[in-house]
Formats: sequence, C-alpha cells, structure tokens
Amino acid sequence: MLQRSVPLLLVTTIVMFAVAPFLIHNAPYESTMGLAQKIFYFHAPAGIVMFVGAFVCGISSAIFLFRGRAGADRIALASAELTVLLGTIVMVTGPLWARKSWGVWWQWDARLTSALLLWLMFTACLLVRRYGGPGSDKLAAAVGIFGMCNVPFVYVSVNVWRTLHPKTTVVPSLGPGMREPFWFCIVAFVSLFLLLLALRIRLSEQQAALDARYLELDDRASA
Amino acid sequence: MSVVFKRVLCVAALAVVLTAAVDLGSLSAQPATPPAATPPAATDGFVPVTDLPPAEQLPAAPLVLGAYAFIWVAVLIYVALLWRRLGAVQKDLDALKHLPPR
Repeated sequence: MLQRSVPLLLVTTIVMFAVAPFLIHNAPYESTMGLAQKIFYFHAPAGIVMFVGAFVCGISSAIFLFRGRAGADRIALASAELTVLLGTIVMVTGPLWARKSWGVWWQWDARLTSALLLWLMFTACLLVRRYGGPGSDKLAAAVGIFGMCNVPFVYVSVNVWRTLHPKTTVVPSLGPGMREPFWFCIVAFVSLFLLLLALRIRLSEQQAALDARYLELDDRASA
Repeated sequence: MSVVFKRVLCVAALAVVLTAAVDLGSLSAQPATPPAATPPAATDGFVPVTDLPPAEQLPAAPLVLGAYAFIWVAVLIYVALLWRRLGAVQKDLDALKHLPPR
C-alpha cells in the first residue's frame, strides 16, 4: 500500500515544501526571538517526525526479533536511517537557533543531551547493522528498541528538568498565524517521511531480490 | 673664574633637579590615563552590561537561511544517494534476468 502511494506522496511532499516557505515568511515574528524563531517551523516538525521514526523503528525491530519477519526488518532499517537523517537536521538547526536566542551554540542540558543520545543510538544501530557481521540485524534491532525507549525521556525532559529549551506547552499555546504554518510543516514532514520510507523499503526489497537471484544462480552452477 | 663657573654649574644643576622633581610630581598627580579607543580585555574583573553593543550582536538572517539551506541539502543528498542505490540494484537485477539458464 505504501509503495503504491509513492506518486501521490511525491506530489504532496513537493507541493507542501514549495508552499511552506511562503507560510513561514508570512507568520508573525515572536516577540523576544524575532526572526531566529522562524527556524522553529522546520526544527520542531523534524524533531517530532524523528520521534515517529524512532517509534516505527522500535516497534518493527521488536516484531522482527520476536516474530522473525523480514518485512519488519526492512521497515526497521528504513526508519532507523530516516531517524538519523531527521536527527541530523534537528542537531544542526537547533544550535543555529540557540546561538541567536541563547547566545550559545550548545548547552549540556537535559533536552539537548538526551536528544543527542537518541541520535547516537540510532547511528549506532546503523553502524552495527553495516559492520557487525553475521547476526548484526538482530543486534541492531535490539539497539533500535532501546532507542525507542529513550524517546519518552527526550520528550518530557523539558518539563521535568530545568533547561533552556522551550517546553512542550509551546506547541498547544501557539497563537493564530503561527499555528497554521507549524501544523502545515508537520504534515509536510510526515509526507516526506512516508515517501522516503517507501523508497528505502523498496531498495531493501530490491536488494533482497538480488541476493535471492545470486543464490539461485549459485545453486544452478553447483548443481 | 673657575669658582664663578662652578657656582653657575651648581645653580644650573639644582634648577634641572628641581624642574625634574616638579615635573614628576605633577605627572604622579595627574588622573589615570584616558581610555583608549578599544578597551583592553578584562583581566582583573568583569563588568556586566545588560545589552551587547550593536557590533557584537549576531544577525539572525544568516542563521535562519543556513538552517533552511541545510535541511534542503541534507534531504536532497539523501534522496540522491537513495536514487543512485536503487538504480544500481535495478541494473544488477536486469543484468541477472538476461543471463541464460544453465
């Protein structure tokens, strides 16, 4: 179903990302942060979809570990890659915003540190899978589950500990003019995530088909 | 003559010493040196100010543009890599399909 919706997702994503800059440009400035706050419209949706990616990876990793389904393994790998991609976006755009708003590029507070750990866990998941040798898919699945378990801590960290980062209450309290572009960007990033997920799963399926074909040829040659 | 010369020398020397002493006294009585155009870096203590001088403030526009540019570049690089890998795998699959059966 996801594969069949690729053309629709492609069109939706391109149109939404083309329209988003105009909506962000027309959104009102925040009173204390001014222009720098506009980074929020891509930074926060990327972070939220990164959490979604971590959950998709963790759940499909658990299905792969306990049921042994190859399809779940492909979804886990694809979503782990996308979690790292979105995490990279969050980790780069956040300090650019922080430098203007806080006066520093980085602060070792609970939110930033736990988000960095989340990114490192999914990077480790990909590295284990790439260089771990035989059985690394199961090891990477375990790392993916641990990564998913880290997500709630990252989310609530701003409410539990004192940090410089805005709290989770910022999103529900967004005023008119800011709310619409924010939710528009959320939908755009979800669409981008689904599109890239479908393409990455397609790549894994093709690679599996290629491996199966090589094995078939080897069997024929040895027969 | 020599006595007169010696007295003149003594008076002149005394005048020089007195002048020097007066000059040094006036120098030491002067207030601290006026502030230079660029103040030296604070080493003895820090003086807090509420606002940064305008020259020190970071403009937001390059940071915002940099953030959005990075997002676009990161996504496009990932899509390009994905596209290339898909193309390579598809090419290998097509090549294997055309192999004659043994």
